[in-house]
Amino acid sequence: MGKEKVVEDKISDILKEWEEYARKGNWRVRGYKIIRGPSGNTKVGEEEEEEFMISYRPHGVLYHHSLGKVSKFFRGLIEGKLYGTRCPRCGTVYCPPRAHCWNPECRVQPTEWIELPPRGKVHTFSIMLFSADAFLEHLPFVLGYVQIEGAHTALPIQIVAPPTGVWIGQKVNIRFREERKGELMDIYAVPVPGQEPPEWSCLHRDPKAIEDLERNLEETYRFLEERFGITKEMVVKRWETGGR
Amino acid sequence: MTRVAVVGGGLFRPDRVRYEVAEEGVAEAYRMLLEDTPELDPRDIEFVQSSYFSDHLNQQLCMSWIVQDYIGQHRKPGYRVEAGGSTPLDAIINAYLMIKSGEYDLVLVVGWEWMSEVDTATTNEFIAAASDTDWDFTVGGYYNGYYAALEVRHMQLYGETIEDLGRLAVRNRNNAVHNPYSQWRSEHGTSYVTLEDYFRDRIVAWPYRRWNCALISEGAAVLLLASEKLASRYSDSPMWIKGVGLGTDSMRPGDRLVNWAYKGVYPEEEAIYPSFVEKPITPYPEMANFGFAREASRRAYNKAGISNPLRELDLAELFAPYDGVELCLYEDLGWCRRGEGKTLIREGVVMRDGELPCQLSGGLTAFAHPVGATSLLQTLFLYWELAGMIEEKFGDPTLQVSGAEKALLTGHGGTGCQGGVIIFSR
Repeated sequence: MGKEKVVEDKISDILKEWEEYARKGNWRVRGYKIIRGPSGNTKVGEEEEEEFMISYRPHGVLYHHSLGKVSKFFRGLIEGKLYGTRCPRCGTVYCPPRAHCWNPECRVQPTEWIELPPRGKVHTFSIMLFSADAFLEHLPFVLGYVQIEGAHTALPIQIVAPPTGVWIGQKVNIRFREERKGELMDIYAVPVPGQEPPEWSCLHRDPKAIEDLERNLEETYRFLEERFGITKEMVVKRWETGGR
Repeated sequence: MTRVAVVGGGLFRPDRVRYEVAEEGVAEAYRMLLEDTPELDPRDIEFVQSSYFSDHLNQQLCMSWIVQDYIGQHRKPGYRVEAGGSTPLDAIINAYLMIKSGEYDLVLVVGWEWMSEVDTATTNEFIAAASDTDWDFTVGGYYNGYYAALEVRHMQLYGETIEDLGRLAVRNRNNAVHNPYSQWRSEHGTSYVTLEDYFRDRIVAWPYRRWNCALISEGAAVLLLASEKLASRYSDSPMWIKGVGLGTDSMRPGDRLVNWAYKGVYPEEEAIYPSFVEKPITPYPEMANFGFAREASRRAYNKAGISNPLRELDLAELFAPYDGVELCLYEDLGWCRRGEGKTLIREGVVMRDGELPCQLSGGLTAFAHPVGATSLLQTLFLYWELAGMIEEKFGDPTLQVSGAEKALLTGHGGTGCQGGVIIFSR
């Protein structure tokens, strides 16, 4: 590793676990199957079939990825602090932070770190009823873009609340999870209590949209229970306690 | 400087899962071009421009080298471009610039994507690796979510409804049933669908249902581009490239709230903002519209001498991996004022019999979206449209716009991070 000195090491467990996994994911063919499938550039209605051999080839990797000059932001999450950066020339406040200002007038000026308050406003959001594999257990969740108070950009963050209880402009508090690993999932947003959805909210102004969404959410609860044994009650509790 | 034309093309059916590998699929698409263009001697091709998006979907880097030698075009110059969803559009523009510059006279553009070697959730993850993996991706984001968040913002600012998104989904399907190469038709047959059917489909990321989202496809397409000197040798109906434009935007959509490149550039746009939503530093395009499309289209129109695109264009193939993108593009392409995108679908302007029909092919959500081939497929479709060949190619004249002369193609990657516009003319 050259001349660097390790200041803190929280990786030992994963390295041990990965050694075994990496041997499974090392490209060596693990089997095959023969299938009959469509063949050639045929016209519709004139499909032809052919036998193809499908080879099963795994590929697993563990990246050791530097978070660069914005490492302080992610270390801050572990410490329970929210940081942004500020350009000393034009005053733009970035959260997500940038180590250099992108305003052409500032000529890639290095920025300064500032601590930001753990609160902000919802700039926009979507309600996820399906997701990539890593987040299936989190369903249904709200993928939010929150403008942290004092920052000029919007931070991607999960909003932990009933999916029909989020709107643009809503005030939120940022909470830190108990167990933190220095990633964005260490934090989440919760709506500041006592707010009612405004009549202009694009989800709430249309009763049909809410009804339609609720009906689809039931499908997601069914999926969660079948696949992971997660019941709707457990999901509702998550919104109350902020758990994962 | 020479003019540049698309003089032919071919495709490898992108409507179903494929077990031929990419180079074999490209070969079939190339064979279609050779069959349709007997005048083409493969030895006369001077440059091969390759287009594919993902290296990890197929566990293979430098696939363009495999493809170029497989079709017997090795030793000649050639390389790949890559820019997510913008890849095939950039490949066409690159080929155009090469010919325009006088460096080459005959360029073959080849594009493909094979997207089913890993399971669907993993495909989504691999595609999401084209977003910022330190930030947006880490909180459960993937493209369905990002685009849904952009649409929620646009919907909030400008008032389109979930019915409007449904109208687009239904229109795309009811066009695609007339396109024999469409994935929708292969999977669902030739009957029309209604708004009621749309509302029975599952929501994946509100406000988007599955029908609103781009397909995962496998397929290939090739295009032959020629200089003015050679165009008539290969085609009786060359499709001229009249103007191109390119543009970019920030990688993370959340950063567009303070976008110096746009600040104050469009003062007339700053007035169009509802009073109940807080205005960010940069009111355009922020997270609601596509700045790249505005940049790209203004340049392309200028080059093509178009002053009233809505009136002058006869049809358009848009890059709309999610239906709401179309409403934004109508605005960013200058077909209407900001916020009025919804009226173009409500008044039927962009329907099959409207003033400017869009997505006659079915688009990315009903035709196919094999990423590296998508804009090539759409261009080939436009070539057949402008040449009056739809009935010949599809065995069905329904999608033919009679007398079509001018068409627009736009493509982009990421959440509008990079993209462009091309104006074609008969």
